[in-house]
Amino acid sequence: MAVIEVENLVKRYKRAKQPSVKSVSFEVAEGEFFAFLGPNGAGKTTTISILTTTLSKTSGRVRIAGYDIESEDRQVRDHIGIIFQRPNLDRTLTAEQNIRVHSCLYGMYAYRPLYRAMPAAYRERVERLADVVGVGDALFKPVGKLSGGMQRKFEVVRSLMHTPHVLFLDEPTQGLDAVARHDLWDYLDRVRRQWGTTVFLTTHYIDEAEGADTVCLINRGEIALCCPPQEMKRQFGAADLEDAYVDFLRRDAGFQADGEPAVAAPPPDRAPAEPPAATPAQGAGGRS
Amino acid sequence: MSPALVQGPDGLAGGLARLVPARRLSRAAREVNAVVTVAARDITITLGSPSGLVMGLAMPLLMMGMIGGMLRENMAGGLGFDFGQFMLVGMVVNMLFMMTTMGMVTLVDDSDDNYSAELLVAPVSRYSIVVGKIVGSSFLAVVSCLGVLVVGLAMGITLALWQLLVLLALAPLMCLSGGALSMIIMGAIKNKKTANMAVMMLTFPQMFLSGVIIPISQSSGLLWLLSRLMPMTYCVDLGRAVVWAGQPDYDAVVQFDPAVNLACIAALTALCLVVGTFLYARSEKNR
Repeated sequence: MAVIEVENLVKRYKRAKQPSVKSVSFEVAEGEFFAFLGPNGAGKTTTISILTTTLSKTSGRVRIAGYDIESEDRQVRDHIGIIFQRPNLDRTLTAEQNIRVHSCLYGMYAYRPLYRAMPAAYRERVERLADVVGVGDALFKPVGKLSGGMQRKFEVVRSLMHTPHVLFLDEPTQGLDAVARHDLWDYLDRVRRQWGTTVFLTTHYIDEAEGADTVCLINRGEIALCCPPQEMKRQFGAADLEDAYVDFLRRDAGFQADGEPAVAAPPPDRAPAEPPAATPAQGAGGRS
Repeated sequence: MSPALVQGPDGLAGGLARLVPARRLSRAAREVNAVVTVAARDITITLGSPSGLVMGLAMPLLMMGMIGGMLRENMAGGLGFDFGQFMLVGMVVNMLFMMTTMGMVTLVDDSDDNYSAELLVAPVSRYSIVVGKIVGSSFLAVVSCLGVLVVGLAMGITLALWQLLVLLALAPLMCLSGGALSMIIMGAIKNKKTANMAVMMLTFPQMFLSGVIIPISQSSGLLWLLSRLMPMTYCVDLGRAVVWAGQPDYDAVVQFDPAVNLACIAALTALCLVVGTFLYARSEKNR
């Protein structure tokens, strides 16, 4: 059963000449790990913003967990969790106060001004989740005094407090060091396995999408390819997903430089492709 | 990770398995809870900022002590009523109204810090978020209001306890009215500097046009029209109506029937709240 259904989604910003998202369609099954990849300005954040109800669409149809994002936006918001591209914990509050505000806004608990006055269920939940992601010691520290990695982990705790069906991750590891990235993914993978949470990821770290069930490439607002990572690697004759992704972008850039239309990646049912011929842009420093 | 808390084959699994989500509140309870939560966040932030509290207390000294004091000593003769008390009630209402209006600029801060995204993805009504912000902003307004009373006491101007209690009972309405008015600005302006200037341009003229410290019963033409369009005019007049109730100089101080004041406050507040919240939600979403 599809938990995310997107049909002919179009978004044109005010005063923009071209739409940022052009008739995009895809589906994400329940429990799926869906990676939405593309270069800067491809339309990833625009799409994720529409899916999370923080941006209006121009046209098309989007349903999350069976609810329409426009007419049933509140029900949609009830079923999703989000880690935004820009960290957005309130830096003037402690990590726990941020989590408390979130939990109360989601109607899980009645607000109490003191942590110890909150229900035992809340305290147990927040302490366990914080321990699980290894930030239990920093729960009562002001967010402004925490490292970027710690803040990200608290955003994970916050986004999981209401047990969302779909977790949207918009470049969640941006600005994190390698260890923090590794740890964060370790926790997220386990959460997904344990709770069957559907994960919708956008990232520039392509290796993070290796474990995805589906990889969807978007470029210039259009879906170029949507298939399992193994299929994508096979089509581009690449050893890993990052190589396949880079090949895709270079082919696309080469076509664009020649004045041709944007590259259409090989259809999923096509036989394994020969590695594409190097374009002039590939000459020096190409990885393939 | 604490091994004592986390059990199971992969460490996390056992720990999460026991984290059964709490039962959610009902729809109505959730909205009330959201108002309380958003307000509590703002109050927590205010309490954590001593400089903000000092400013809140210092404002009455400037407004009431200096401006009001000068007017009282030099221009209040022959008015036919107690100008000190007239000014005190006006200043109490003005502080409630103005400080709430100014506090609403934190909505722009939230937008700058990307925190508004966290608020706007919450499954609650936008009205709950806005009303919560108004309640939170009114906390500093009440602090300033206490400052007015202290400055008034120092100037020898006092209110009877029952008058004070009635005024405080009306305070939520006045804060709501000021906060709702500011939503028109917050819905249209996303830059903090511009928002601050716009709020100043809205609040300071109101102080004079609404008769906070200068009687406006003789206003005519454009000034008369502007004074009638200002929500604070009706808040100030309502405040004076309840304080002067039953006193011989009531007609010299109060302009409108309290029912008219209440109706005008309710209508203007509802209009500003609906239009402002619509503009705010639209500006965040329609780009």
